[in-house]
Amino acid sequence: MALSGMRGLSVFISDVRNCRNKEQERLRVDKELGNIRTRFKNEKGLTPYEKKKYVWKMLYIYMLGYDVDFGHMEAVSLISAPKYPEKQVGYIVTSCLLNENHDFLRLAINAVRNDIIGRNETFQCLALTLVGNIGGREFAESLAPDVQKLLISSSCRPLVRKKAALCLLRLFRKNSDVVNVDGWSDRMAQLLDERDIGVLTSSMSLFVALVSNNHEAYWSCLPKCVKVLERLARNQDVPQEYTYYGIPSPWLQVKTMRALQYFPTVEDPSTRRALFEVLQRILMGTDVVKNVNKNNASHAVLFEALALVMHLDSEKEMMSQCVALLGKFIAVREPNIRYLGLENMTRMLMVTDVHEIIKRHQAQIITSLKDPDISIRRRSLDLLYGMCDVSNAKDIVEELLQYLGTADFAMREELALKAAILAEKFAPDLSWYVDVILQLIDKAGDFVSDDIWFRVVQFVTNNEDLQPYAALKAREYLDKPAIHETMVKVSAYLLGEYSHLLARRPGCSPKEIFSIIHEKLPTVSYVYLLDYAFIHNTNNRYSSFNVCKDFDALTATGPRIAESNLGSIPQQRAVEYFALSRKGAALMDILAEMPKFPERQSSLIKKAEDTDADTAELSAIKMRTQQQASNALVVTDQRPANGAPQVSQLAMVMVPSMNDVDHASVDQPVTQANGTLSVVDPQPSAQDHAHVRSAAPAADILGDLLSPLAIEGPPGGSAPSEQNSVSGHEGTLGVDDALALAPVGDHEHTVQPIGDIAERFHALCLKDSGVLYEDPYVQIGIKAEWRSHQGRLVLFLGNKNTAPLESVHAVILPPSHLKLDLSPVPEIVPPRAQVQIPLEVVNLRPSRDVAVLDFSYKFGTSLVNNRLRLPAVLNKFLQPIQVSAEEFFPQWRLLTGPPLKLQEVVRGVRPMSLGEMANLFNSLRLMVCPGLDPNASNLVASTTFYSESTRAMLCLVRIETDPADRTQLRMTVASGDATLTIPTAAKPSAPVAQPTTPAIAASDPGAMLAGLL
Amino acid sequence: MIRAVIVMNDQGKPRLVKFYEHQPVEKQQEIIRSIYGVLCSRAENVSNFVQADSTFGPDTRLVYKTFATLYFIVIFDDSENELAILDLMQVFVETLDKCFSNVCELDIVFNFNKVHTILDEIILGGQVIEMSSSEVVKAVDGISWLEKNPNSIIRVPKSISGWQGR
Repeated sequence: MALSGMRGLSVFISDVRNCRNKEQERLRVDKELGNIRTRFKNEKGLTPYEKKKYVWKMLYIYMLGYDVDFGHMEAVSLISAPKYPEKQVGYIVTSCLLNENHDFLRLAINAVRNDIIGRNETFQCLALTLVGNIGGREFAESLAPDVQKLLISSSCRPLVRKKAALCLLRLFRKNSDVVNVDGWSDRMAQLLDERDIGVLTSSMSLFVALVSNNHEAYWSCLPKCVKVLERLARNQDVPQEYTYYGIPSPWLQVKTMRALQYFPTVEDPSTRRALFEVLQRILMGTDVVKNVNKNNASHAVLFEALALVMHLDSEKEMMSQCVALLGKFIAVREPNIRYLGLENMTRMLMVTDVHEIIKRHQAQIITSLKDPDISIRRRSLDLLYGMCDVSNAKDIVEELLQYLGTADFAMREELALKAAILAEKFAPDLSWYVDVILQLIDKAGDFVSDDIWFRVVQFVTNNEDLQPYAALKAREYLDKPAIHETMVKVSAYLLGEYSHLLARRPGCSPKEIFSIIHEKLPTVSYVYLLDYAFIHNTNNRYSSFNVCKDFDALTATGPRIAESNLGSIPQQRAVEYFALSRKGAALMDILAEMPKFPERQSSLIKKAEDTDADTAELSAIKMRTQQQASNALVVTDQRPANGAPQVSQLAMVMVPSMNDVDHASVDQPVTQANGTLSVVDPQPSAQDHAHVRSAAPAADILGDLLSPLAIEGPPGGSAPSEQNSVSGHEGTLGVDDALALAPVGDHEHTVQPIGDIAERFHALCLKDSGVLYEDPYVQIGIKAEWRSHQGRLVLFLGNKNTAPLESVHAVILPPSHLKLDLSPVPEIVPPRAQVQIPLEVVNLRPSRDVAVLDFSYKFGTSLVNNRLRLPAVLNKFLQPIQVSAEEFFPQWRLLTGPPLKLQEVVRGVRPMSLGEMANLFNSLRLMVCPGLDPNASNLVASTTFYSESTRAMLCLVRIETDPADRTQLRMTVASGDATLTIPTAAKPSAPVAQPTTPAIAASDPGAMLAGLL
Repeated sequence: MIRAVIVMNDQGKPRLVKFYEHQPVEKQQEIIRSIYGVLCSRAENVSNFVQADSTFGPDTRLVYKTFATLYFIVIFDDSENELAILDLMQVFVETLDKCFSNVCELDIVFNFNKVHTILDEIILGGQVIEMSSSEVVKAVDGISWLEKNPNSIIRVPKSISGWQGR
C-alpha cells in the first residue's frame, strides 16, 4: 500500500480511521479543523508544503461529511502558486469545495486565465479542468475564446485539446448566450475528422451538446458521424489502447450513435445506406459471451444501435429483427441485459406497429415479474402495462392480481393503480371490471387509493345492467370472515343503493344486510352505515316508524361514537337523518336513486399521466387508447347527467369520504331541509359549479368525482363552529332547527392554515429545515442546527401581505425538560418582510413532551391564534454512532430486562422494506449497523442520546421482522445508563416514536415503534 | 451527463465523493446514506441498476458495481448509456489497479488525493474525457513525476498515439 507522500495527512487519516465511533471522529476532526484554522490565521510561518497538506486535509474532512466553512481562500490562493504540486492541489480542492457562484472564484479568474494562455501545458490542463468542472458565467465571458482557440489549435497536444473540448462544453451548456458558436459547424466537422480517439471522444460529447441545442446548424456533420462509426465498427481502425475487451472504443461508438439520434432523420440515401450497413453489422454480430465486462461493452453498443434503429424508424425488416433480439434478451441469464431488454421493449411499443410481435413474448415478460431483482420487476410491470390491450387485458390483469399478493410493498400501490387502470380501460365486459376492483380491494385494500373505489362506484351508478351484479358481489364479500375497511365502504355503498335489486335472495333482506354491515365494522364508519340504512329502508318503502326505530337505536350510540374519537360527523349525521325521517312526503324525492355521473376522463388515468414520469411508456398507452377506445366507456349510457332536477338530494347519497368534502356536503341537505326541501332547486347546473368550487380544498380527484354531486358548504367551514351551533340550538329549538348550521358569512373571518400543520410538524421532526406553518398571510419557516444536547433554531416569520402584520406575539410554552430561550419578537412585521427569531434550546433530561409555540397576530379585526408544536423532539438530541460487533454485544448482554431493556411485539404496522426502515432510522438519527445481526431480516441500530443531566448515553435498537408477514415486528430497545432507570425506559423508544406517532397514526411502523416503548 | 461519482465501502463510509453539480454537504451526506440504504439490501447476481429518481429527480439513473469491499456508484441522466457507464467504472477500477498495483480499499483511503487526480483524467465536468486506461496512467504518471520534481520544466511525457494521426 502506497501512502499519500504527506506524513501529516497519512497520520490524520489513520487517526480518523482508528476512531471507535462517530463522536470520537467528530472530536478528532474538530481538533484538526481548529489546528488548521490557527495555522491559516498566521500565514507567515506556513510553507507551501504545509499549506498543501492542510488543504488536502480539508478536502478529506469535507468528504467525511463535515462542513468546512473556512480555508477556501487558502485553497484558491494555491492556484496562483508558481510550482506544480501546490498549484495542482489548489485546482483540485477548489473545484471540489466551491460552487460556481462562490465569490472567491472571481479572485482566481486572472490566475486561471494566465495558466490557460500560458505556455505550460500541464498548467493549461489544470486550469481547463477547473473551468470544465465549475466554470460559471464570468469564466465564460473572459475565457471562452481562449478555450476555443486551444481546441482547434494544431500545435496543442491531444491531452490539452480534449480538455479544452469539455471545458468549452461546460461553458456553452451553462451560458449558451455568452459562448459564440456561430460558424462552428465547419470547425466541428473538422474536429470529427480527428484521428486521436481521446480528442474525438471529447469532441463527440461537445458535438452532442451543440446538436441537441440546434441540429439544423450541423447537418454537414452528420456524414462525418457515420464515417466515425464505420471507422470503429466496420474497419476497426483503432489503436490497441482504445480497444476494450476486443471492441473498438465502445464508448465512442455509443456516443456517436447517440449524437445521430438528435437528427430527426438521415435523408441522404448513400449516408443512410452506409449507416444501416453498420447498424446491421452491430445487430447481427453481437453474442452473449461469458466475460461480463465484454458483454457489457458489446451490449452497450448493441442497445444504442437498437435505439438508433427505433429512432430512424427504418424498414420493417430491421424493426422485427430488433424485436427478435429484444425477445432473446429478456430471457437471458445476465440480469443487466434482461433489464435493458424489458426497458427497450417498452420504449419500442410507441415507435411502430410491433405490438403484435411483442405480445408473443408475454409469457416471458410475466416470468420477469417474479425476478429476484426489484429493478427488473419494475421494468416488467411497466412493459406489461404498456402492452396491455383488449385482447390480453384479462390475462395480464389476472397476473397482476396474482402477483399483488407477493409483491414488494414498495411496488404494491403502483401495481394496484396500474391494474385498476388497465381493468377500466380494456375491460371486455363490465362485470369483469367490477370483479377485478373488488378482488383488488380484497387482496390489497391498504394500497387501493380512494380514487379506485370511487371510480367503480361511478361505473356501477352509470350502468344499470351492472347494478344487480355489483350488489350481489358486494353481498358475497360481506360473508368473508375478515374484510378490509375499504371493502366495507364499497359494499355499504353499493348495497345501500342497489340492494333492493337483490330482494328475495336469501340473506338479502334489508334487516339482514343492515346487521351484517353493522357487525362487520362497528368502528369504521357509522356514517356509511347510517347512509346505508336510511336509504335502504326507504327504498323498500318501509314505514317511517321502522326507520325511526332503527335510527333511534343508532343515534343513541352517537355519544359513544364521539367519545371513541370518531369525531362529530357520525353523531351529527345520525341526528340529521332522524330529523329528515320526519319530513314526510318530501322524503321520497330526497331518497331517489343517484342520477348518473357525467362522463369524463377517468381521474385515475389522469392521475397516472400526471405522476408517471416515463413518457415513452405513457404515450404508447395513449396512442393505443385512441385507436381502441375501451369497451367499458362505450357501453355507458350517455343520458344527460343531472337531468333530474334533484340536486339537493344528491348530497344525501354522496360518495362517502373522510375529509372536508364530506363535511361540507353534510351541511348541504341540512340547510335546505330546513324548510326549503319541498322546493326543488330549478337551477342545478349553476349551483353545481359553485359547489365544486367550494369543495376545492379537497384533492382534485375527489373534486372530479364528486363534482356531479351537489356539494355545498360554507367556504372553509370549520368543524368546531358547526358543532357548536348544533349543540347550542339543540336544547331550545328542537331537533329540526338544530340542523340549521352556522351561517356562511361567519366563516369569512377565520384564517385557515395552508397545508396540514400536523404533517408539517412531522416532516420537520425528520429534517432540519422547512415550513412550520402557513396561512394566507403568514409563513413561519424553521431552520435548526443540533449539536449534542443543544440546538439552535431560527424561526423565519414572513408576512405575505402588502399590509403590515400587527400585534404579533410569540410565546413558547416549554415542557419542563427543555430550556428554551426565544429572542424578542417584533410586534409589527412590515409588508412582505421576513424577520428571523433565533431560539436556543437546551435539553435537560429525556422526555417525550413537546414544546409549543403560541403564536398570534391580528389581521383586520380578527385575531389569529395558533399553537404549534416545535420540532425540538427527542430524536434531535441523538447522535448516530457506529458500533462494532465487539462493542455491541457486550453492551446488549449487559442490559437485561426492563427497565433498561424493553421488548414489544407490534402488529398492524404499515409494511416497509428493510431499506425503507433503515432510511427512516437514518432520518431519526439512528445509525443502522449492518451485519451485526446474523439474520438478514433484522435490523440493528445504535445512537447516543444527549441531555444536560445524562450527557452521552448509548441506545441500542433491534428490530426483528417477519418476512412472511411484514405487518408485524418485534422491537427491542436497550439503553445503558443505570442512573436513569425510568427515563431510560421511556427514552429509547421515544426518539423513534415521538416524531411519527401522533400524525401518521397507527399505520406507520415508525410510529408503532415509537408508540411501543 | 454524469452527475456524481461516489465510492463507499460496504459499511457506507464514503471513500471518494465527486459531484459534478454542486450539492451542499448535508445533501451529499443524505444522498450517500440513502444510496447505501438501497445498495446494502440488494442481493448478489442482480442487475447493476437501481431507480434513483427519488434522490436525484426524474430521468436520473444509478449504476453501481461492487469491487471487493467497495461500491462504485455513478449517477447520471438519460443522455448516457447504462452499460457504457459500467464500462467506464471498469476502466476507472482498472486504472486504479494499475496506479496502485493491485488496488485495495486502504490505497484509496490513504491516497484519496491521487484518486481525485486519476478521476479528473477520466471525467471532466460530468463528461468522459478518456476511456483508455493506459492513456490515463500515462497522464497520471506525468503528474506524479512533476509532483516529485517541482522545479523541472520538462513536460508530461508525450503520448505516442496522440501524434500518430498528424
